[in-house]
Amino acid sequence: MNLIIDLTKILFIFTLTMGVFAPILGWVERKQSALMQDRIGANRADIFGFTLIGLFHPLADAIKLITKEDFIPQGANKIMHTIAPFISLVPPLIAFAVIPFGGEYIINGRKISLVIADLDVGLLYIFAFASLAIYGPVIAGWASNNNWSLLGALRASAQMISYEVAMGLTVIGVFMVYGSLKLTEIGAGQEEFFKWGIFLQPLGFFMFLTSALAENKRIPFDVAEGESEIVAGYFLEYSGMKFIMFYMAEYIEIITISGIVTTLFFGGWHIPFISTNALISFFSLLLGDTLANIITMIIHIGVFFTKVIFFIWLQMTIRWTVPRFRYDQIMKLGWKILLPLSLLNILVTGIVILLT
Amino acid sequence: MAIGILKIKRKGKMTFWERIYIPEILRGIAITSCHFFINLLGFIPHILFNNERKIFTLYYPEERVKYPDAYRGRPVLVLGDNGVEKCVACGLCEKMCPALCISIQPGETKLSKERYPEGFTIDQARCIVCGFCEEVCPKEAILMSQDIEIANYNRKEILYKKEDLLVPEKDLRMRQGFVRGAFARWKY
Repeated sequence: MNLIIDLTKILFIFTLTMGVFAPILGWVERKQSALMQDRIGANRADIFGFTLIGLFHPLADAIKLITKEDFIPQGANKIMHTIAPFISLVPPLIAFAVIPFGGEYIINGRKISLVIADLDVGLLYIFAFASLAIYGPVIAGWASNNNWSLLGALRASAQMISYEVAMGLTVIGVFMVYGSLKLTEIGAGQEEFFKWGIFLQPLGFFMFLTSALAENKRIPFDVAEGESEIVAGYFLEYSGMKFIMFYMAEYIEIITISGIVTTLFFGGWHIPFISTNALISFFSLLLGDTLANIITMIIHIGVFFTKVIFFIWLQMTIRWTVPRFRYDQIMKLGWKILLPLSLLNILVTGIVILLT
Repeated sequence: MAIGILKIKRKGKMTFWERIYIPEILRGIAITSCHFFINLLGFIPHILFNNERKIFTLYYPEERVKYPDAYRGRPVLVLGDNGVEKCVACGLCEKMCPALCISIQPGETKLSKERYPEGFTIDQARCIVCGFCEEVCPKEAILMSQDIEIANYNRKEILYKKEDLLVPEKDLRMRQGFVRGAFARWKY
């Protein structure tokens, strides 16, 4: 029975990220950028004349990319070249395992916790896999046997390692406040509206979001890709399905970052001013305990993913608003501003905890 | 000193407010998301009730811009109301054409105009759409249309023959009026 529940949770998250979010985000990105720039956006792909505001474009793209030639350049390391997109795709997907998308519910006397793996080291696990994500670009850039790719890989690795440090130190403030590394406990600690991470760690929120964007190598931190400087960076020599796997990795990373930010700073699955117990007791008056728990669970999942969608929207908006940083500016921001600020954040948090 | 030179004072250094970066980014995000939401809300009545869109971009092949009358598209021959082209094959446009894209083969006819073009070709690949042919024509027989879609895979297909060029007079009324108005002041 436990196995079935776990498998259901895995299947749910997997279909939601790989099956729903990742393909649709490509469409969302095109359409949102169009709206932000007063354009119309993708609307040409149609099936029997129905365009469905361009929603068939992911499908058309998939067909195009599958039927495209899978090109491996001369002199490239074939095994590494093939394996690199997989390496960059897997870590963001795996990191989602510890993100709780709901609290704990009692259904038929069985306690169900809506997280795939409730690890004691939750956040460290996420950082472990975030640092594994560096290998994808580096191997891709090296194995392509191309100067631009190698330059892109170098930039990607330098940038990701620099921001890894700032990101790790930023989050220490969060554990200090909630006293746990477990993401379920951090989530449960934010039941009251004014105990959300954004109120307790406002500086931490901005710094975490900045370094998470830099980890994802999207604009404004896309020197690794930099199409106007180094053609396309580390995935220059990729085509077809392998090329789109890098994009899928990017989109899944957006979702994962949104999930982490929601859990750490925006109250996870909690609705502002309404506690879980109040919700369950309200529904159990009308429908009985089990049904009340199920309804609360569905509401909480909905709330969590609404917040995730909001953060996806925010990241897309930042991506289409801000121009690219220069390479030295990125390094300066990472080492000279974010790192001291995150240390200061730890210090201030410690003093406040000691005094209260 | 040359006319029309403006001296713009540039700020040397950014203020502290600009250097903390986050408020300025938030301002940028506010502007772009304003556009986003205005356009998003503008779309909903358009899709549901087919109202006018807020975005002024057009769905090109389905919706088209209405060009002003002065717009010069490809030159066409006017087909008169009696079903005969107005052209008398005088050859003025052929002489006038700076790109040498018009070639006319005159022929004799029993109609009152006595001459007619047996062959009339415009090599649209050479045409520079200057409108001199229209200006020089004594019979208002060649006019600039509003048609700009001349893209083709083959150069032979944009070598327009007489059949491709003939357009009924009633479709060209607007341009005819414009030409009369524009060239009347020269008193030819």
